Amino acid sequence: MGTLFEPFTDVVPSFFGWLNQGPLTLTIFLHTVIILPMFWIYFQEKKKLNK
Amino acid sequence: MANENRSVWTSISFWRRSAAWVTGFAVILLIWLTFDTLGQISMGTDADLKNKVTKRVPAPTVINYHIDYKYNAKRGHEVPVIGDKQPFFGKEWSEEEAAKLLHLGKLTSQAKNCMDCHTLLGNGAYYAPDLTKAWLDPAWQNGGPLQGMTGKNTVEEAMAEFLQHPSQYPTHARMMPNLGITAEEAKGLVAFLKHMSSIDTNGFPRNFSQAAKREQGGTYAH
Repeated sequence: MGTLFEPFTDVVPSFFGWLNQGPLTLTIFLHTVIILPMFWIYFQEKKKLNK
Repeated sequence: MANENRSVWTSISFWRRSAAWVTGFAVILLIWLTFDTLGQISMGTDADLKNKVTKRVPAPTVINYHIDYKYNAKRGHEVPVIGDKQPFFGKEWSEEEAAKLLHLGKLTSQAKNCMDCHTLLGNGAYYAPDLTKAWLDPAWQNGGPLQGMTGKNTVEEAMAEFLQHPSQYPTHARMMPNLGITAEEAKGLVAFLKHMSSIDTNGFPRNFSQAAKREQGGTYAH
């Protein structure tokens, strides 16, 4: 415990088990896939408004 | 020129598109997680047990094996460890027999409403002890006070005896009432409890063994 990345020890290997090994891996993943596209939407909308 | 000062934050289409993206992504994620979970909770087979393949939920024939509960330093909690063959009620149960007995136990646990007072795998109440790992409770093992109280020599026989006459045995501050459980139903319930204890519950209930040691005389696993 206490480290960000640890050896995978789940019984049944799964993508989410791998993702949820440490306290931040899932958070970083979800922010990447949810927040980053919102930046893209933001700049698209800004461009549209400025036209 | 004036258009350049218009804020995106007040634009309805920005919020609409953001909400659609977040909702859509969450839907896909939840569907994916559902199928991911199905793989984790699907029951293993008898062949898995014979080949020592670890499954979260082992096959019903796990009742033919000795089940231990050992601390796993990597995972930071105890996990069930399926050991060597061990007779259950003095015999080895075939796949069909074990499945039938487990089914009877499950139906009995529902018919007698165990969850009115007990907790099974996180569902139920805490009026009476948590039964998720009851089979592994040291109090029911050889030399334990609960097994000693029934005068039986094995965990399964002691538990079955208690289940048939619970009001005769002082086990808990709130004694279990007599529910009219028959000998066959008691066997099924014990099989159900043994199988449940072999399920890898990620250490639930937390600190079970320590709690069982601390409060002698009952399955006080909170």
